[in-house]
Amino acid sequence: MTALITSVCAAAIVYAVSVLYAAVGEIFSQRAGIMNLGVEGVMLMGAVSGFLTAYYTNSKMLALLAAIVTGALLGLIYAFLTVTLQADQTVCGMAFLTFGSGLSGFIGKNVTGIASPVKFDKIALPLLSQIPFIGDVLFHQNLLVYLMYLIIPLSMFYIYRTRPGMILRSLGENPAALDTAGINVFALRYAYVIFGCSMIAVSGVCISLAYTNFWNEGMTGGKGWIAFSLVAFSEWNPTKAALGALLFGGISIVGMNMQIYLPGVPSQVYSALPYLATVAAFILSTGSFRKKHTEEPAALCCSYDRESR
Amino acid sequence: MKNKRFASILLALAITAASLAGCSGGSSANSAPASTPAAEQSAAPSEQGTDWSNFKIGQITSLVVNDGGWCQATNQSILRAMQSLGIPEENLITIENVSEEQVAVENAYNALVSEGVNLIIGASSGYAAFLSDLAPQNPDVIIAQQGARTENLIGYQIRNYEGMFLAGYACALMSESKTLGFAASMSEASVRAAINGFALGAKYADPEEKVQVVWANSWYDVDIETQSAQTLINQGIKYMGMEASSPAVPQTCEANGAYCIGYNVDMEELAPKAVLFSYVWNFAPIFEKIIASAADGTANPDDYYYEGGDSSAISDFNSELVPEDVQKKVLQVKEDIASGKIKVYGGELKDNKGNVLVAAGETMSDEQIVAQEFLVDNVIGDWQ
Repeated sequence: MTALITSVCAAAIVYAVSVLYAAVGEIFSQRAGIMNLGVEGVMLMGAVSGFLTAYYTNSKMLALLAAIVTGALLGLIYAFLTVTLQADQTVCGMAFLTFGSGLSGFIGKNVTGIASPVKFDKIALPLLSQIPFIGDVLFHQNLLVYLMYLIIPLSMFYIYRTRPGMILRSLGENPAALDTAGINVFALRYAYVIFGCSMIAVSGVCISLAYTNFWNEGMTGGKGWIAFSLVAFSEWNPTKAALGALLFGGISIVGMNMQIYLPGVPSQVYSALPYLATVAAFILSTGSFRKKHTEEPAALCCSYDRESR
Repeated sequence: MKNKRFASILLALAITAASLAGCSGGSSANSAPASTPAAEQSAAPSEQGTDWSNFKIGQITSLVVNDGGWCQATNQSILRAMQSLGIPEENLITIENVSEEQVAVENAYNALVSEGVNLIIGASSGYAAFLSDLAPQNPDVIIAQQGARTENLIGYQIRNYEGMFLAGYACALMSESKTLGFAASMSEASVRAAINGFALGAKYADPEEKVQVVWANSWYDVDIETQSAQTLINQGIKYMGMEASSPAVPQTCEANGAYCIGYNVDMEELAPKAVLFSYVWNFAPIFEKIIASAADGTANPDDYYYEGGDSSAISDFNSELVPEDVQKKVLQVKEDIASGKIKVYGGELKDNKGNVLVAAGETMSDEQIVAQEFLVDNVIGDWQ
């Protein structure tokens, strides 16, 4: 039984991390006032660019770098559209979704269904992995999971405990005030959108080179949307996003095991559990249960235009 | 204002580019399988004297033709059939990524008809209803559709339970425990046939062998398929069969020291330390018959091909993992199924609720096999 619980918890962490990169990236982007609905498209581009690089170079670190650069390039385009040209963010996001999905399928056409020679294998951390239960759950993971252990506290510290973090929060609340204070709103929004898209692309690598080591068109299977939902669910807070991702991943994995332990219930009920849990969590965090002050950035989705201040 | 107009133009361009990229695999001539040298492709009349140079085939697939799964198996089967008959490979027109909805199927159908195809192959059962409605518009264009019998369409399907019987038999021979696993996708008759075939094969090797099934309730989901395999492995199961589309199950087995039978296409390369061999859909013998009948004018929409034998194929054994004696036994069972010595759905056969499905000495009819709504008695799990 302990082995089962260990395995379920470890799998929940792997699942959570694969959506968390995207969720944290989107949190930074939305904190800066720019919403990107095209998370799934950027994830797919990250997955395919990482896979192609790994396939042709045999280097997973180059693959990670390629995905980050691909994400950054997409972020640059997205920022140009939404910050400089002030295009509607919802429409741009949907365009990116279609664009990323289509283009990733196109450039990955010749490597579909082929195994990559390298992947992010599990590494047992010395000493830490020897701790009973915790060692097996937390420290028998792949490099991308270990990086996430650092990213969550660092991003929390950055957002809530540093001056640039305070500026980031203001960027999504009142960009005009920052502009008046002499801070370049446009440059900062560019930077956070580029950072956000790079993180989203790394989520794609988690799926094509850590979860498995192959590429197939549309293989993210809606994880981009889950990551996007996590942002609002977490109230733009990386720690809450991590808890939400663990909850979603954990419930879906437990549901699979319940097919064996509670066989009388139709398996479709277990498949629906994560979504039911998400709906329940949303109900609890909205409506009459919700506190008066919302964490949603006030200037989210609002283009900043000096002329119309 | 100027900026916004510029943005709109850029967006329109982006969407157009994306659409073009998405359709990139759209209408294209196909590449032959690796084993098909281009020089062997000939437009010359075949041995039977049929001039195939003007015979065109259209293929509609739900994903890309090299998806590493179902579409790839279908595409390779068509190419093998064409090669065998001497039809030039450029006579195959493929439309990929056609979703199972009316507008998409109608567009694909009209495009293929306008290209002058003689035969359309619908490679996903979800196209049946739409193609059935469209078929009367062009009676000269023959449509072959995978799945159950449908009005106006030639139907085809493979007796997958035969290959799966071999899969279950091999796993049971190699397993030291009395429980095997099966990672299943959606509860549909052909999937249940795969599970039951696997379980009956396991039972043939060892009457006490059980098969624990877990459902993904999805046709393609890397996460869930990974979790399916992991769940079975957590139960102490070391050998499993699958009816799932991605290589997630074999790769999860490989990462955990477990073994499985690949599915759709030969998956050994994707997980060489886990895949014993693969169940492979080989539609080529069926397609050869359909193409020949379409060419000589004898094709009839009432035709239905439900075949096993070479169609319900298995790939080469992974000799690193499967001992020679097991290989020999599996091949012997394959012969015994072909000769009729082993009847997979022969009685007495009970479901896992205790109901007698087939009385002793009798065999289940094809109609019952195709529409099966049961799991046999050594399967642990429910199908509903």
